[in-house]
Amino acid sequence: MELKKELEALKGDYEKKFEEINNLQELQKLKAELLGKKGKITQVLKNLKNVPPEERKEIGKLANQIKQFFEDLIKAKEQSIKDKLLEEELKKSQIDITLPPFWIEAGAPHVVKETLKEITDIFVTMGFSVAEGPEVEREEYNFDMLNIPKDHPARDMQDTFFINKEGYVLRTHTSPVQIRTMLTKKPPIAIVAPGRVYRKDADPTHSPMFHQIEGLFVDENVTFKDLKGILKKFLETVFGENISIRLRPSYFPFTEPSVEVDIGCTVCGGEGCRVCKSTGWLEILGAGMVDPNVFEAVGIDTEKYTGFAFGLGIERIAMLKYRIPDIRLLFTNDLRFNTQFKGI
Amino acid sequence: MKVPYSWIKEFVDIEEDPNIVAERLNETGLETTVEKFGEYIPNLITVRITSVKKHPEKDKLFVCEATDGQKTYQIITGADNVKENQVVILAKEGAVIKGQEIKPVKFGSFESEGMFLSLEELGLEDESEGILLLGEDAPIGVDASKLLNLGEDYIFEVEITPNRGDALSVKGLAREIAAIFNKKRKEINPNVSIGKEKNPQISVETEKVNRYRGIVIENVEVKDSPFEIKLKLIKSGQKPINNVVDITNYILLQEGQPLHAFDLDKIEGQIHVRNAKEGEVFVALDGNEYNLKETDIVIADDKKVLALGGIIGGENSKVDENTKHVLLEAAHFEPSAIRKTAKRLGINTESSYRFERGVDIESLPLAQDKAVELIEKIASGKPVGEKEIYQNVYTPKTIKLREKTTKRVLGENIPKEEACEILNRLEIPTQEVEDGTVSQIPAFRAYDLQREIDLVEEVGRLKGLNNLEETYPAVPTLSYEKPEWYMFEQKTRQFFLDNGLNEVLTYTFVGEEIYNKLGLTPPNLRIVNYILKSQSVMRDNLTVSLIDVLKENLRHQTKDVAVFEISSAFFDDLEEIRAGILVSGKIIDGYRYTKEKTTFSTDLQWDFLKVKGLLLSYLASLGFKDAELQSADLPFLNRYESADIFIDGKNVGFFGKVHPKKAEELKIPKNTYVGELKLKPVSRELQPLEKEDYLFTLYKRRKTPAFQPLPKFPPVKRDLAFEVPEDFEVGKLIHEIKNSCKFAKKVKLFDVYYLGNGKKSVAVSVEFNADDRNLSDEEVNSIVEELIKELEERLDVKLRT
Ligand SMILES: [Zn+2]
Repeated sequence: MELKKELEALKGDYEKKFEEINNLQELQKLKAELLGKKGKITQVLKNLKNVPPEERKEIGKLANQIKQFFEDLIKAKEQSIKDKLLEEELKKSQIDITLPPFWIEAGAPHVVKETLKEITDIFVTMGFSVAEGPEVEREEYNFDMLNIPKDHPARDMQDTFFINKEGYVLRTHTSPVQIRTMLTKKPPIAIVAPGRVYRKDADPTHSPMFHQIEGLFVDENVTFKDLKGILKKFLETVFGENISIRLRPSYFPFTEPSVEVDIGCTVCGGEGCRVCKSTGWLEILGAGMVDPNVFEAVGIDTEKYTGFAFGLGIERIAMLKYRIPDIRLLFTNDLRFNTQFKGI
Repeated sequence: MKVPYSWIKEFVDIEEDPNIVAERLNETGLETTVEKFGEYIPNLITVRITSVKKHPEKDKLFVCEATDGQKTYQIITGADNVKENQVVILAKEGAVIKGQEIKPVKFGSFESEGMFLSLEELGLEDESEGILLLGEDAPIGVDASKLLNLGEDYIFEVEITPNRGDALSVKGLAREIAAIFNKKRKEINPNVSIGKEKNPQISVETEKVNRYRGIVIENVEVKDSPFEIKLKLIKSGQKPINNVVDITNYILLQEGQPLHAFDLDKIEGQIHVRNAKEGEVFVALDGNEYNLKETDIVIADDKKVLALGGIIGGENSKVDENTKHVLLEAAHFEPSAIRKTAKRLGINTESSYRFERGVDIESLPLAQDKAVELIEKIASGKPVGEKEIYQNVYTPKTIKLREKTTKRVLGENIPKEEACEILNRLEIPTQEVEDGTVSQIPAFRAYDLQREIDLVEEVGRLKGLNNLEETYPAVPTLSYEKPEWYMFEQKTRQFFLDNGLNEVLTYTFVGEEIYNKLGLTPPNLRIVNYILKSQSVMRDNLTVSLIDVLKENLRHQTKDVAVFEISSAFFDDLEEIRAGILVSGKIIDGYRYTKEKTTFSTDLQWDFLKVKGLLLSYLASLGFKDAELQSADLPFLNRYESADIFIDGKNVGFFGKVHPKKAEELKIPKNTYVGELKLKPVSRELQPLEKEDYLFTLYKRRKTPAFQPLPKFPPVKRDLAFEVPEDFEVGKLIHEIKNSCKFAKKVKLFDVYYLGNGKKSVAVSVEFNADDRNLSDEEVNSIVEELIKELEERLDVKLRT
């Protein structure tokens, strides 16, 4: 039974040896030493012929078991060393995840353009189409056909830039797009017209160029109450469900009745502050029922159709929404300003 | 317009809180704010100045004595309008004026026992000249705060819309308030009798004066106005001048009827109300000389122009302290004529403001008689003659308001009984008829109420438009049009945003200077009445504005600038919507990183190929895969690094590097690239423009791609290197390979190498593919051989071996 003892000693001995190994070369060496052609176990098995036959079977079995044991052990050990090496390698090339990235940063939209888009989208979603017109506009479309005759004080409501092109002005509002639309399309008409407009206001609260969006809805049976509904829905979408809305009768030559629409001050919530000049209200848009004179100018039957129109200034809404204190900031194009509104 | 509440109360019995009155006025269409008239200040007393002497020691100061009837005060003042006998307001010891407590103060060897006050010190105006003179008839020894109603009266500030000239007076506001609160307005009729002995000679020689009435008043005593009149004027924000002038202003404020008083002794011959003569010169009360045109209306005598009708009086006939007899004019001028003249000459007076917006032609005599009554009473004048020419007599228009029209427009059924009641409350005589109401439009609303819709508005606004319950209409499907351009624009915008460009917003007008600096001819289209010369030229490209954006940012040390804008360029007959880009400096301002054998840099500079990549990637995103470039020749670009962009042979834009000389002149970095793409033409006519050299036009016409079967057989790759002249365009080779061999499906450039002998080596990798079979090696060899032969024949290229 010497051989049996020898084998068991070998097992204990080498189990310990393998445990201490931590690189692949030594593992291969030790594997050869134990399991190679001249390895220890091979030697034991060679001596098996000297063992009495009745024990031979038992020892042979034991030797094979031990051989198998070590083969498994080596395989596992090899894997673990490889894993460790890979881990070390990966660790060595570890990236500092706090390093600044290497990609182009998305640009920032301009607040005015983005607000214009947001508002246009609301109406487009409601089913309005989008119309446009030139900025160097016929005086006729900008004024006369909108029921703003020459030598009428209503022309003073909008200080006009005149162009060295006879009969043309820089449009003072987006309303001439109403005229263009009604001259080319038959009711029903439901459009919005976003765009640049121009007024000769040279004070710090105005810009000579700014943006408006105009809405026009003409069909049979369109009423003032419908106007109120559309505007309410729109203002609630922009400013939130809880916004309070007030309609004040006013005057625009191209609508009658006309109203100014106020919302509860979004800054102070109606308490009164500098922005709302302590009134608790902010004037946000002008609207009204299309004046029959306008329908007559474009050849729409006033007994058959009614319509409403509205217009609002985009800069004011953007300034309110993003708490921008000075309109001039919108036009300086200082990227330190523009990039504040990335992702809006 | 400022109107004291107390004055309104003379014409309508109303005791409502002034804030509620203002709120209701706002709700019915008159934009109104209300403020207290000053604040009660204790220790103010009225005193009469009994003597005024120059301060013997101090320049510009006066030593005054004043009495409150019992006590005499010594007051030192710097106001040079102090006058003996005038009643003024004295702030006694203990009064707090603008936060400062009044105490006796020594000025040299004289002690001042208080301070005479100006309107400014009372907190009633922003800046005063001199102290407030209350006149000689004001009571003395009384609480001055009480006398002025400080903190008691309220002032309405009303801003009317251009259609509401009728509300530009105490009377008009009283009428409106009476209607709102359902009260009766009171009219106080004057008691005057005008003699016939000295009727003036007046002829109206123009159609633009509808009514003219002149009254001769003799022996007026021009002096200070009585306190009561002064106080009302002060409360209304007006400066008292003298009794005659003050009375005309008083009536203008109260009745809304502008009046003018001429010094009768300065009139030579008769009065002619006529059109001005071309080139006639007139010196107005504002001291300015005006050149008149035939469209202007003048009041003239036989020799000279006395006044610019309805706008402003003349220096040569003005009423002053020496005036004895006056001619008091009340007239009605055609609004458009007044506006034309006032606008041209840049004059805006209380008078022109009202005439432009329409004055009540029918109550002209009433208003004028009220003035005459006052002149008799306080200037002791005698009306001794009158002449009236009423050539365009007002006939009230009859307007029917149908119940169904109100319903159609407002969406609310307002019964005719209610409409009738509302209109009558507004002093519009109205009767019910079968299907609605019929109104006679009074003269005070003549310009505003001309059609049925105008009455719908009246009824609506009084009923309260804000109270109407909203309805939610369905937008008709029939009107729907896909917003193709809008979507295209947004797609373009989103592309540039996603690719790292920031959106900017520039003015579409620029100065000439930038054009000169860029070597471009400034466009013709200009703003005639510009605010700034540097904002007067309508730009015909976006680059001129984008360079400004770069400069603005360089000022703030922002050097890496990548911006875009979608905006308009202007031409004589059309406008173009363009996408403009400007990039300068680095795409990524990165860092270098080295670790053992790994090294990289995250720095990325803009250069020609990157800008080309950006623009071509944009075009590809629209489905334009075959954009071609040709060298551009623009004066502000480096012609060796710039290109025009063509799609289907149409020039749709350009881009390139700013010419180094221009960059230097503009003080911008040399590494600056600009580009513009023409997106869409905008017609000034009604028909849209369908010009082909615009991306949107091409986009709408592009074919919808149809599915192509995927290749069934694997490609065979071959690398080929050619020797070509240095200036040979690589693109031509790539194009030609695809063109001359139907099996060459893909050509990829992988190496360009300048050989130094005027030649360069261009290496490409070509993928060969047949649709129906595997290409064998031998087959590919012969294809390549054929291809090379073809290329060498057609181009200046040689295969390198
Ligand atoms: Zn507020």
